[in-house]
Amino acid sequence: MNENMKKSDSIIQLKHINKDFKILNRHEGLKGSFQDLFSRDYKIVKAVNDVSLDITQGEIVGYLGPNGAGKSTTIKMMTGVLEPTSGEILVNGRVPYQNREANANNIGVVFGQRSQLWWSLPLIESFKILKDIYRIPDKDYKDMLELYATMIDLEALYGKPVRQMSLGQRTLSDILAAFLHNPSVVFLDEPTIGLDVSMKAKIRTLISELNSRKNTTVILTTHDMGDVDALCKRIVIIDKGTMLYDNDIEHLRRFFGAYRTLKINLNKRGAVPSDDEKKKQPENVQKVLSKQFKAVDFSIEPDEEWVSILIDESQIPLMKVLSFLQEQMKIYDVRVEEISTESVIKKIYEGRG
Amino acid sequence: MRKLKFYARIYFKILGQDIKSRMSYRSDFIISMIGMLFTNAVELAAFYIMFQNFNSVCGWSYYEMLFLYGFSLVALTPMQCLFENNWNLNGYVKRGDFIKYCFRPLNIFFYYISEIFDIKGLGQLAMGIGTLIFSWHKLQIPVTPLVLIKLILALASASLFFIGMMNFAAASCFYLINTGFLINTVSKFRDYAKYPVTIFNRGFRFLFTFIIPIAFIAYYPSLSVVRPDSASVLTWITPVYGSLFFYASCKFWMHGAGKYTGTGS
Repeated sequence: MNENMKKSDSIIQLKHINKDFKILNRHEGLKGSFQDLFSRDYKIVKAVNDVSLDITQGEIVGYLGPNGAGKSTTIKMMTGVLEPTSGEILVNGRVPYQNREANANNIGVVFGQRSQLWWSLPLIESFKILKDIYRIPDKDYKDMLELYATMIDLEALYGKPVRQMSLGQRTLSDILAAFLHNPSVVFLDEPTIGLDVSMKAKIRTLISELNSRKNTTVILTTHDMGDVDALCKRIVIIDKGTMLYDNDIEHLRRFFGAYRTLKINLNKRGAVPSDDEKKKQPENVQKVLSKQFKAVDFSIEPDEEWVSILIDESQIPLMKVLSFLQEQMKIYDVRVEEISTESVIKKIYEGRG
Repeated sequence: MRKLKFYARIYFKILGQDIKSRMSYRSDFIISMIGMLFTNAVELAAFYIMFQNFNSVCGWSYYEMLFLYGFSLVALTPMQCLFENNWNLNGYVKRGDFIKYCFRPLNIFFYYISEIFDIKGLGQLAMGIGTLIFSWHKLQIPVTPLVLIKLILALASASLFFIGMMNFAAASCFYLINTGFLINTVSKFRDYAKYPVTIFNRGFRFLFTFIIPIAFIAYYPSLSVVRPDSASVLTWITPVYGSLFFYASCKFWMHGAGKYTGTGS
């Protein structure tokens, strides 16, 4: 596969994908567990429910959702490890579960913190084995290593057995290994989990550069909104197996653009509120506000010494809330913030309830 | 055929690298080598002491028994060296880490097994070959090409039986929950492999021939060299039966892996 073969049309297509799991209804207690031995009492759990997606070559798609939303299940179906219960799925024009090995030739996967490299081998030896497995031509292999060398300090990594690497180095190595055969799609499952700030930044830069240099499609699942802000132009949100949102991130922010966060500090300068006060203050603000503006929803929560109030300005101007509060209580400090991606996503999750 | 060449190339590459990296932990290598030799030396000593008191076991002489012993050691080596990762399978499946073997364009069984090569088994191999040659010499079995071919064939098929048994035991974890004990149990049975199956009563003989076929790890195949006259049909079908048994175990393993990932068979 070289770059010009990768045309800018759809590379992954999911049409009305469903995945059900059959789970035994467990009975409680010792007697129950004996019942379970002979029970044929199954319930069907819908892990993925009517999901349709169309992903274009070269996109970086943030695939988000709370734990247990069905993200991994979808990725397993796209990588050919799981067979969907119903629906059509095409990756690179192939049905993944029918051609797992052929499909694997054209994808790269980094799955959580489980390194897929050979534990006892130095990275460069792992690369040489991967070169054989994916039948990478000598020239492409050499070019790729040269490209890597321009991006990060490889010397420190190459000679080191994977078992001796730090988590950050291991993640970095796994990502490099996933891109090595220049696949058209790379799946990254929480690549920055557990890493420090500078390593996170390094990995984000690496992913974004590889994506733009090789036009590789990247499907990224993460709980880290920093990853989303830094990398994804498009996000897909799924919860309880159902797709909640699929659009670009700008649209998302505009959609929630009416929201702004008002932060007020009710403590004297330098005074540190007790835990009790931290709990009471937002409750108090809530009470005061809901009395005055009955029809308006506020989401109020403590944030360090601040009380943070999320306001939908299409319902009520922020300044009106502030001036009202100022009459009601002594406010020592004020901040206004645009809604963060994190709060947007949270709103979407909560909206489903 | 091209596929076979492809797999062989990758296998030897991984193997070579793995041996190289293991050699760099030199003291670990030497200690485990000495440990292995010591274990086997103690077993041999026990053997010797036993035969100080008995002249034969069920009509099998000291040197014949020694031959069986050496034969079983050699036949057990391929499992120990090449299929060692079977021991870890239960853990991988239990922790959910097995998924990482499903993303390469390779056969999952091959990829999983190729990952680990256990060099410790080589000490046992040396011991087994030494014992085999010594008893061969004492039994005055002629060294002809035919006998050598018979021996190699017998050893190869005996190995397939043991690997097959361990494949079945390991892959059971795909079907049932937490079967780590099973591979241990099956592995313990190999201690019975170095005795002629005739010392057991009929029930056990049936068990060890058809259910847990440890009689094929040394007794039946080595008859073709030690006592060709008393070899039964079971001896001569060993290579075919062994290959089939091994093939079935691989299928069982792969089917289990498919079940685990949810792609069915």
